[in-house]
Amino acid sequence: MSNVIELKDVWRIYNEGAEEPVYALQGVSISIRHGEYSAIVGTSGSGKSTLMNIIGCLDRPTRGTYMLDGIDIENRSDDELATIRNKTVGFVFQQFNLLGSMSALKNVMLPLVYAGIPGKERKIRAELALKEVGLENRMHHRPNELSGGQQQRVAIARAIVNKPSILLADEPTGALDSTTASEIMDLFGRLVKEGMTVILVTHDPETASRANRIIKVRDGKILEDIAMGTVS
Amino acid sequence: MNIVELLSVAWQGILSNRLRSALTVLGILIGIASVITLIGIGEGAKQEAEKQVQSLGVNLIYIRPGQVSSMGISMGQGNAPTLTYDDAVAIRENCPAVKEVAAQYSQSFQVQYGEKNTMTQVNATEPNYPDIRNFYADRGRFFTKRELDDAARVCIIGDTVANDLIGEGNPVGKQLLIRGELFDVIGVMEKKGMTQGMDMDDQIFIPLSTGYATLFGLNQVTGKTVRNILAQSKDGEDWQAQFQITNLLRLRHNIQNPEEDDFMVRTQVDIMQTAQSITGVFSLLLGATAGISLLVGGIGIMNIMLVSVTERTREIGVRKALGAKHNQILAQFVIEAVLISMTGGILGILLGVSGSHFISNIAEWPTVVTPISIILSVCVSLAIGLFFGIYPAKKAAMLDPIVALRSE
Repeated sequence: MSNVIELKDVWRIYNEGAEEPVYALQGVSISIRHGEYSAIVGTSGSGKSTLMNIIGCLDRPTRGTYMLDGIDIENRSDDELATIRNKTVGFVFQQFNLLGSMSALKNVMLPLVYAGIPGKERKIRAELALKEVGLENRMHHRPNELSGGQQQRVAIARAIVNKPSILLADEPTGALDSTTASEIMDLFGRLVKEGMTVILVTHDPETASRANRIIKVRDGKILEDIAMGTVS
Repeated sequence: MNIVELLSVAWQGILSNRLRSALTVLGILIGIASVITLIGIGEGAKQEAEKQVQSLGVNLIYIRPGQVSSMGISMGQGNAPTLTYDDAVAIRENCPAVKEVAAQYSQSFQVQYGEKNTMTQVNATEPNYPDIRNFYADRGRFFTKRELDDAARVCIIGDTVANDLIGEGNPVGKQLLIRGELFDVIGVMEKKGMTQGMDMDDQIFIPLSTGYATLFGLNQVTGKTVRNILAQSKDGEDWQAQFQITNLLRLRHNIQNPEEDDFMVRTQVDIMQTAQSITGVFSLLLGATAGISLLVGGIGIMNIMLVSVTERTREIGVRKALGAKHNQILAQFVIEAVLISMTGGILGILLGVSGSHFISNIAEWPTVVTPISIILSVCVSLAIGLFFGIYPAKKAAMLDPIVALRSE
């Protein structure tokens, strides 16, 4: 299968040229295939957040090349990156990051608004995505009327609604109790079975153990890259 | 994203903090309402002044004695006894652009009817005065050329005088005493109200010759002195008439240097311009005051938008992560600011229009709300929203999504 993510010798250096440059990433190369379920693990300050930002097209490498689903990310403008994020990347955050003034349905529709999809189709697709995560009965509730697990499900529905190439989840269970966390992880497992490429970013070994591949990051370098086979 | 979606996103933003949005709207509302009302008052004053100047008469030219300086002390305009009845006659005979001339001499006297008496202005003039001033007898009639020649003891009384002295009943045919001299009332003037700060209804008209003979007497130096001369130019010849009168009077008064003129010739256009320049300054001051309150309202919008952008940093981060482009974030916040200012603007227009009516009714002060001031208000509130919204919106659009997502 072809690679959806290809990082080649990627460096991310803050304050380059200044007296004390910070080397957040130092020559990272990773390839991730379509449909793979991987976890990027590392302690805080290891460079895993920087790596996630680059994979999610929120940031650009200082040096090195990054191909996302066949698109070269180098020399892209901010607006081009926004379009790539919209079409290719689904984000799931630790704090859910739903907009509090909107219903669950409106939140899920948001990426489709920026994708320029007409209103009717938007609604149908958002409803489908909410059904996918099992929230068809909570569509018109606002985030503050939903439990933490339900909010994270809305966030996942929002991440998958525009059919992205990768799903990037940053500590998706960090704000949840263990039972709810387990349910959310089951949901990721199901999405992978349906063919979604899922990348977890976490410091929690138990969460990471759900993935088929564990990429350990330390001091801006890949420490270990272990494939666990297809056991799930 | 089309405009409807942008509007609905911006509207969501406004609704998410209703009280704050409402207070910001109030700032613009007050600004626009005061602009509309104060410009309405200024415009009303202007039209009122124009109306008053128009009511002076048609093609009117005012000739008044100039200023006399006695040993360097100005005695005030119009106090010099330099204009005479002969000047009026000369103007009538020698100025081709002049159609009518009426000389006037007026003074206050005690007037008595039966038990009642009052102090009023006695205006001695000539029979063509009504035509020149466009001010006619309502009941009875004005005096005639013949009565002028005969120095007849007849008078035409103003509406106020008629009410004060005679009250009920027709004054025509009654007799009254002016400084002890007996006069027949032959007419009552129509009601005219205030013109140029003078109550036109509180005066009595008598023939000029009668005035000299019975009330004023003759000036020992100049003979028949007049307070002023009213002239009426032929249509469209007011400048020529002014020029001819000025030259004639200089010749008659032996004046070589125009700066030594002992008289003033003012056309209705001059008077109109003076009135307009006064009301113009008035309007400008009112408008400027209102403009300042509008500016304060605009700064209020900017302030609130800056707070809003700071508070919603994370929202902006989420929107950017989900694919919002620079201009879409910019548009969201600019439209939010414009919606606030336009809401304030439209409500302000409503309040301003009703406020103007209210002032008209309560203070009996004419106010005029012109369509231009309404259109201007709409444009100004739009411009305020754009101007004061663009900086906060730019700040929002420029946010780095990584930093924005990390903010609390």
